[in-house]
Amino acid sequence: MAHSKFPLEVLTPEGEVFSGEVEMVSTFTGVGSISLLAGHEALLATLVPTELRIYRTEDDVLRFAQAEGYIQFADNRALLLVEEAIPPDQLDRSVYETKLTESRHTLQQAPEDSEEHARALRDIRRYEAFLSVAAA
Amino acid sequence: MASQRDVRNKIASVKNIQKITRAMEMVAAARLRRAEQRIEALRPYADGMRRMARQAAIAAGSQAERQPLLAEHDTVSNVGLLLVTGDRGLAGGFNSQIIRAGVRLAAELGEGGKTPVWFATGRRGVSSISFRGNELTGAYTGFSDRPGYADARTIADDVMTGYVDGKLDRVELIYNSYISPLTQRVTREVLLPISQAIGDAEPDEQERDDATDERPPQPVEYEPDPQTILQRLVPDYIEVSIYRALVESAAGFYGAQMTAMRSASDNAGEIITDYTLQMNRARQAEITQEIMEVVAGAEGLS
Repeated sequence: MAHSKFPLEVLTPEGEVFSGEVEMVSTFTGVGSISLLAGHEALLATLVPTELRIYRTEDDVLRFAQAEGYIQFADNRALLLVEEAIPPDQLDRSVYETKLTESRHTLQQAPEDSEEHARALRDIRRYEAFLSVAAA
Repeated sequence: MASQRDVRNKIASVKNIQKITRAMEMVAAARLRRAEQRIEALRPYADGMRRMARQAAIAAGSQAERQPLLAEHDTVSNVGLLLVTGDRGLAGGFNSQIIRAGVRLAAELGEGGKTPVWFATGRRGVSSISFRGNELTGAYTGFSDRPGYADARTIADDVMTGYVDGKLDRVELIYNSYISPLTQRVTREVLLPISQAIGDAEPDEQERDDATDERPPQPVEYEPDPQTILQRLVPDYIEVSIYRALVESAAGFYGAQMTAMRSASDNAGEIITDYTLQMNRARQAEITQEIMEVVAGAEGLS
């Protein structure tokens, strides 16, 4: 059954990744997985790296490897601000495997309460999520 | 009067300068288009980030003050001044207007018993502030042409650490915002404390629409909670604000350089016209002189 649609914008610092009417958007907040339909109550949430799914219709689904970010739903409009959102066919596995190895190495070297350690941990989560999207 | 050869040499050298300024104008124009695209791509993201930070700050209320990065300091003694300039010159008053604004603000702070703590991006700003005998706490160079997000993150880390450690009580950002190739506006923004940063920022179109909306406010679900969201949003907001200033400044630089080089090419054209006129006069004078000598010689023989 077709759902009613709502406008969605997905923005990164490099520009707009998606803008249009969708039936549902599915991602992962700091609390857990979330799927938004039209008429959802107002929301502001942090996002963790995962696979972002945009349902233009039930059969027309766009997938992205999504980095950390935020989602805001207000007045039946959704806005996603994410550091990166990359379609799976543009993900270069070897690049992210190298980055993952480097981040794991940094994590081992950096002092535990340092900013470098925290950043390496964030990067590892991001690259692991990207690789799992590429593998799917 | 200068000889024909002297004037011809001058014309040749001005033509060479004109070729260089024309080439620089064209290079700046090509890079300006790319820089404009970057700033247009970034602006909606940065505006969205500010709206979300403002919403989370209002929802968190006084709870936000418990975080060192979010708390406003009781007394303001040390004010961080982050000047965003270019690595290169030949762009009219682009760099000097930022340095002047920073020096003026530092003087005002000094009169009010506050100490300026200098941070600068771009070789022009770094060298100028050092030349005036000021110590730079942070100097960042080599990326003003095409700043990356990682550059903004490095600067943001330094100012946030300074604020949390109590070495800075306020941080202000001074940069050229890009209006058009002909216009760059010196913009001064508060980065920290965050309450002033998001409170002072001008509301965008969507916020103005929301403000005039007479419907009762909707209840909002926060995941996980406003304080945690704000805690994560604030460093991101500061990074994006600095990145935006760097990108705006890069676009502004190319606009200013393009305009300055166009003006230099036009001036070179005028100088060439003047010298050409001067050369023609010199040539005419030489011809007249030769005719007079021939006539005088002929008269002497007859």
